Amino acid sequence: MTVADPHDAAAAADAHQTRAVRVKSVSIRHEGRDTTTPTEVTFDVDPGEVVLLLGPSGCGKSTLALALNGLVPHAVPAELTGTVTVSGMRTAHETVARLSERVAMVFQDPDSQMVTGTLLDEVAFGPENLLLDRAEVLSRAEESLRQVGLWERRGDNPDTLSGGGRQRLAIACALAMKAPVLVLDEPTANLDPAGIDEVYAVLRTLVVGGDHAIVLVEHNLDAAIELVDRVIVLDRNGRLAIQGPTRHVLVDRVDELMRLGVWLPVALLAALRLLEAGIRLDPLPLTPHELTVALDAQDALPAPVATGAVDETGATGVARTPPATEPAVRVTALDLDRGRTRILNGIDVTIEHGSFVAIVGTNGAGKTTLLQAIAGVIRAPAGRIDVLGLDPAKADAHTLARTVGFVFQNPEHQFIKSTVAEELAHGPRLQGIPADEVEARVSAMLERFDLQELRDEHPFLLSGGQKRRLSVGTALIDGAPLLALDEPTFGQDRARASELLTLLDGLNAQGTTVLVVTHDLQLVAEHSSHILVLDSGRVAAFGPTASVLASDALDEAGLRRPPLARAFRELERHPSWRSVTRLRDLPWGPTS
Amino acid sequence: MEIGHAAPRSALGADVVTPSRAAVSKPPIDPYAAPPDFGPWRFLHRLNPLSKIAAPLPAMALLLFTRDVMTPLVFCLIALTLLVIGAHLRARSLLLLLVAIPVVVGVMSVSFGIWADPAASADPSVIVEAGPLHLTVGGWLIGLATALRLAAIVLLALVGGLTSTGPDLVRSLVQQLRVPYRLGYTALAAFRFVPRFGHELEVIRQAHRVRGISDGRGPIAWLVRTAGYVVPLLAGAIRHAERVALAMDSRAFGAHRTRTERYSIAFRARDWIFIVVFWAATAVVVVFAS
Repeated sequence: MTVADPHDAAAAADAHQTRAVRVKSVSIRHEGRDTTTPTEVTFDVDPGEVVLLLGPSGCGKSTLALALNGLVPHAVPAELTGTVTVSGMRTAHETVARLSERVAMVFQDPDSQMVTGTLLDEVAFGPENLLLDRAEVLSRAEESLRQVGLWERRGDNPDTLSGGGRQRLAIACALAMKAPVLVLDEPTANLDPAGIDEVYAVLRTLVVGGDHAIVLVEHNLDAAIELVDRVIVLDRNGRLAIQGPTRHVLVDRVDELMRLGVWLPVALLAALRLLEAGIRLDPLPLTPHELTVALDAQDALPAPVATGAVDETGATGVARTPPATEPAVRVTALDLDRGRTRILNGIDVTIEHGSFVAIVGTNGAGKTTLLQAIAGVIRAPAGRIDVLGLDPAKADAHTLARTVGFVFQNPEHQFIKSTVAEELAHGPRLQGIPADEVEARVSAMLERFDLQELRDEHPFLLSGGQKRRLSVGTALIDGAPLLALDEPTFGQDRARASELLTLLDGLNAQGTTVLVVTHDLQLVAEHSSHILVLDSGRVAAFGPTASVLASDALDEAGLRRPPLARAFRELERHPSWRSVTRLRDLPWGPTS
Repeated sequence: MEIGHAAPRSALGADVVTPSRAAVSKPPIDPYAAPPDFGPWRFLHRLNPLSKIAAPLPAMALLLFTRDVMTPLVFCLIALTLLVIGAHLRARSLLLLLVAIPVVVGVMSVSFGIWADPAASADPSVIVEAGPLHLTVGGWLIGLATALRLAAIVLLALVGGLTSTGPDLVRSLVQQLRVPYRLGYTALAAFRFVPRFGHELEVIRQAHRVRGISDGRGPIAWLVRTAGYVVPLLAGAIRHAERVALAMDSRAFGAHRTRTERYSIAFRARDWIFIVVFWAATAVVVVFAS
């Protein structure tokens, strides 16, 4: 990756011809900010090359992606210094519209990329804007839709596609621009595991085709890493920290990456943990498959840590034997309809005090409905649900608030006051608690969630992570011993997701029972004590996390096992390791 | 190109769900065969959306000023006849037109009739009396005229409304009326916001209910509650609109003064005929009714 000497005119001209993207000393300052992110970044991308941009939250990866097709500075109010050149075209001198023939973009949220009423109109939208003739528009539309496997559905409304389908459509729309460079900004952050697989299946064919230089911003390295030729890492201040071939960066400079707070592939984390225990995998694996192969190449392995021991009895059993203590939640024969459709069908579940239950299932399995019924957000038939002695279908709002705290997917939806402190005080005041006691609770909560400095800030002006912490705080301030969260990690990067899960771990350790609906099965595996698998409104499995992950319940419910569980399950030579699903199941530290 | 197509598709393999079954069982939709055509009898679908707006416009304007029962009744019948013969309607829409609208007119005629000024009515004989409320024949006729005027205006609007699609209307606005396409297609994109915001509003209401904000009753509590929905809804809307704008810009929206129209919506002789005949009929109705 030698950069042509800028003083050498011939070399520079040559580089202009061959480089797909050239980024030189680029700094971007958003309007109203003092600091620049990214800062002084320089890199090139060759035709046909796949480059992954990595870095901690807020380092400017997405901003940099927007600069590649001129949206920064032309459409986003920001100041750009340095130069971005795509296929010999300076972005600063061209309109976004002209640059769209050189660089095509795919964004994070599939919904915000849809403009028209049918898939075909959608894909034709870009070429039509380019004033191509009708035959060319149609041939591009057909070719692009076929490439992502959606040609048969060309007459459908994009709304009828799944999240993964809509994101494939967004990729088709980008392909129809026939640009040599494709930029994807967190293309799978809003998708469930099935959708992520769909998108990566499409990306794999594009990489194999080799027609595009691809720049990928992505946190989900487990899926992405095998496609990537080169990795560019930015540090917290948006400066270029590392760049080089994928394996070289991830394996040789893993300590630096960890220090930067960059998320690593879980297979690599597992191998590093094993290394500490004296098990050397060579080469270090980056994907679940490589991990399986590397482990099978070992002649002997010590026994995995006992916490992963499988309790076969509880694996798929629907009715668990009632525990000695009074349960936190008991659901009996719950049926729930929405309109004429039955959403939940004969649900029987008993959740013990202090458990951390992950509710998983495919889209439409009834996860959110069950959670909302338990928390009293929607009214279930009376007498079916018991939460700490309370029937949420009959309880009034104040009593309910003291029993269950509910956290919505988007924290903003829950904010009703104009300062952080007011927001926290709202619940206790409704309970009729005296003012000094309210103040004491608010202060305690601000401290607990590290929000003291922001006491008088407007809730909408907080950062994403702070908003999330505040919404958890408002749910807990009435003293609810049960916390229910609906997809709290959806659309967030891994660092923020992990921050929240750590917070929940802490609450759980202090005795709060946690119920969480989520798609992220690796997080489920690492944090939850129990998994509840829903399939078409029925309980497909409920039991301790390790047992459910070891059973076939996830596959049968149409879900994919988390990457680590997948890797270990495929092992041929070490059967005792097949039930390992979590990093903490692996041996740790020097073995005696 | 054919070979190029085959390779990536097979490479996708089983990972990508290709709904080939749906394609077999449903008749293949041909979206670029422009407006749907349901044969010569359903002629309304073959007209330009603009002509279906232009033709009934004078009648709709006139209806605002009529006071009699006859004029709106005749226009109601004309619009209904046009729709029943000339439009391809689903059973539900047909039921709505032929049953629901007459029922609504009946109910409205009575309720308007009760409040009509008894002094202005021609026939003061009482039909029904319930406590302080009287329905006189004259009052009912005034109510009926008002109800029919509203129904006629709605039905005339439905002549175009039920037989053209939003995209077609935008296309003809751009092609015939030379409305800038940036305006037309942005408006079209904005249509997609509506269901999204509906859903978002529902979630916000749920969330606020959970926070215990829905306790009050009465109009003031309602106002306070609704004001509380505005900020989160607006914050979400602005963010969404910004993202949509970036996505449209990245796909060359606004690159040139015009854009390729995949099919053109013609304004043919039949459109002129439709307009002229409709205007003539309007004149005849007005002359004979008065």
